[in-house]
Amino acid sequence: MARKKKEREEDLLKNEHIQRVLSPHPLSFMKLQSLCLFLIIWGVVVGWLVNFSEWKGLFSGNVWLPVLAWGLVLLLVGVVTSLIAIRWSVFFLYLAVFVSALCLMLWQNWLSESALFIPMFSVAVSIVGFLMVELYRRSHKYVVSNLRITFKGGIFTKEERTVRYDKITDINAKQGILGQIFGFGTIIPITQAGFGLGSDKSFAAGGVEIGGKKGKLLGIAGGGKEVQTPRARSYYELHGIYPYKEIKKLIENLVQDNVITPYQQEQVEFQKQQVDIQKQMRDLLKTQTKTPRERPAAVIAKMRQEEDDEEEEEPEEQEEAYEQEQVDIQKQMKNLLKKQIEVKEETAEEQDEEKEEKEKE
Amino acid sequence: MDGSSIDTFVFAPLAPILGLLLFWFIQLLFIESQRYMLSKIWHKHEPLCRFTNFLGILYQTACHALGYTITRSGISDFVISVDYGKVAPKKEKQGIFEWISNAFLFIGPFFIPALFLLAYFILLIDPSAFSIPVGFYEFFSTGLQNFGENIYSFSEKFFVFLSNIDFFNPLHFGFFVLLIIVGLGIRPSYIGETKKEKIDMIYDLKNIKNLLFGKPLYLIFLLVLAYIIFYISFFLKHGWYVALFSILGWVSITAIVALIITQTIILLIKNTDKLSRPWSVLPYLVIPVSYVIMRVLFFFYPVDFSNSISLIVMILSTTLITFLLLKYKTNKFKTKKSIKKAEEEDGKEEKRKGRRSTKE
Repeated sequence: MARKKKEREEDLLKNEHIQRVLSPHPLSFMKLQSLCLFLIIWGVVVGWLVNFSEWKGLFSGNVWLPVLAWGLVLLLVGVVTSLIAIRWSVFFLYLAVFVSALCLMLWQNWLSESALFIPMFSVAVSIVGFLMVELYRRSHKYVVSNLRITFKGGIFTKEERTVRYDKITDINAKQGILGQIFGFGTIIPITQAGFGLGSDKSFAAGGVEIGGKKGKLLGIAGGGKEVQTPRARSYYELHGIYPYKEIKKLIENLVQDNVITPYQQEQVEFQKQQVDIQKQMRDLLKTQTKTPRERPAAVIAKMRQEEDDEEEEEPEEQEEAYEQEQVDIQKQMKNLLKKQIEVKEETAEEQDEEKEEKEKE
Repeated sequence: MDGSSIDTFVFAPLAPILGLLLFWFIQLLFIESQRYMLSKIWHKHEPLCRFTNFLGILYQTACHALGYTITRSGISDFVISVDYGKVAPKKEKQGIFEWISNAFLFIGPFFIPALFLLAYFILLIDPSAFSIPVGFYEFFSTGLQNFGENIYSFSEKFFVFLSNIDFFNPLHFGFFVLLIIVGLGIRPSYIGETKKEKIDMIYDLKNIKNLLFGKPLYLIFLLVLAYIIFYISFFLKHGWYVALFSILGWVSITAIVALIITQTIILLIKNTDKLSRPWSVLPYLVIPVSYVIMRVLFFFYPVDFSNSISLIVMILSTTLITFLLLKYKTNKFKTKKSIKKAEEEDGKEEKRKGRRSTKE
């Protein structure tokens, strides 16, 4: 525990301190746990049907019948779940369970004992499944600091990803029914780079017939559509964190603190303009104060030549030009200051109004 | 027209209606008592209460949706969460259609979930329970009698099943799980930090009253319909009329049983809350362990009524263990220290404190 804390502190940046260290809620991987739960329930039901139920006579004649019934329902549920979840891994998982049970029974000649083997095998595989899900859950670690969120995970290969609050553009939060009951939920921080976004693909196709009586061309034509949706691996999102509402508020506040507000943006703009005006002023002063000694010889010669050519009134004109330029710059500065004051007053009024509204509420 | 014919044509149709109302009021009493018990354990078992809220809202919303489907209004919006549920129709229908869909919303949650439970029991466990022994009747008193007999015949089968329930039978176990789920959600009242007026039994009852008396024409229409069905079954000498109300009575009994069982579980939770860990877990462990031990024992040494005996042993051992734990691990029964002694000790301590303070 102390070692982990030390490791975490070593990973911290300058001026960074940890706000919360989180891991997913034990029930947040219910989708995976329910696969094991179904396996256990169906195995026990098959065991009851074959050994104790009033229909046990149906299974007594043939040793293959319980195995086939168990396997077929398992695969059927696998196909249906895969189609609903658009993940064929569920089907292949159940297929692997079925094939491994079949191989074990054939290898050890336990086919005649299938009535006992099926429930026991189902329970054993489910327990292993539950343990693996728990191991997977425990491999997740989310560190929320004042500067960033660090996602850590991986059972064998360690993965780590960091998201700074100033890079977060959007926060997607979701809470299922189980999450609403037990108070956990998932938060996906979405960045400008698209971190936290997945895509849903849909494809529509239909048969096409081209041509007339002489010759026909049949084919399939279709089109796909891709929709961007907030989605990330459990390692790259705050998956099933508890307490959800508290953490969501904390992250939203941290993001808000790192985002420049419209008032701050205006102030930055004013400062930029001020700097520009000051630069102009400086350049003007430079040109005014530059003495003949500071100027290069060629320039002085040129200037003298020009002075000879020009009439004596010119220096006065130049001074007038300088004065005019100074007045312009001062006017610009004045306007800018006026604007700044107006903006300040407007924001102060808005804040007062908000306060009054809150007090009224 | 003599007195008996007035009884037959005016009062006799009311007999099963009044019988059903009686069962419904008993159901309401149990619902209110469950709400009270849940509100007592809310602070320590928020997830459980949120789950019951969700079930209540689910049943309410589903019943409302069913109402819109039956009236062919269609459903444009269907939202359910732990503390909010909403169904919006595609077409806003007025008049009788609106009345029917509202009736489904307010009355449905009391009957429809239990109807599913009854269907499970009759279809998967005991099809013989669906028998109506007496139907046709002429007078108010015989009507009440027939209704009571029908209720009794079902109740007998239902309670025989409950006292012989086999938790090793997946169908029986599934029924028990469903019984608890229905029992927890049959309460259309919100349990939480703040009261939600719209999710409350009293709110529903007010609405039912408004529904019935707000538009008396529909109520009269329903009563006339009931009288017509009675007259048809009377002249054809069939028991349809009493059978219809008997089935609703069965639903009510199923709901009452579900409520009693869930209240027993809530009572156990409430009592174990007084115990510290790991003692508080012990009663929950005793439930399956005692049952499994008894069943294994009866598997090797079979006796009659093994299921019932296992159940009784399970209930008694759990009650006994909980009682003993409360007695020896808490001061709930005030047996550890008498109140007088405690007061005396408190008085002594106060005196000591007083002396100390005066010395200082």
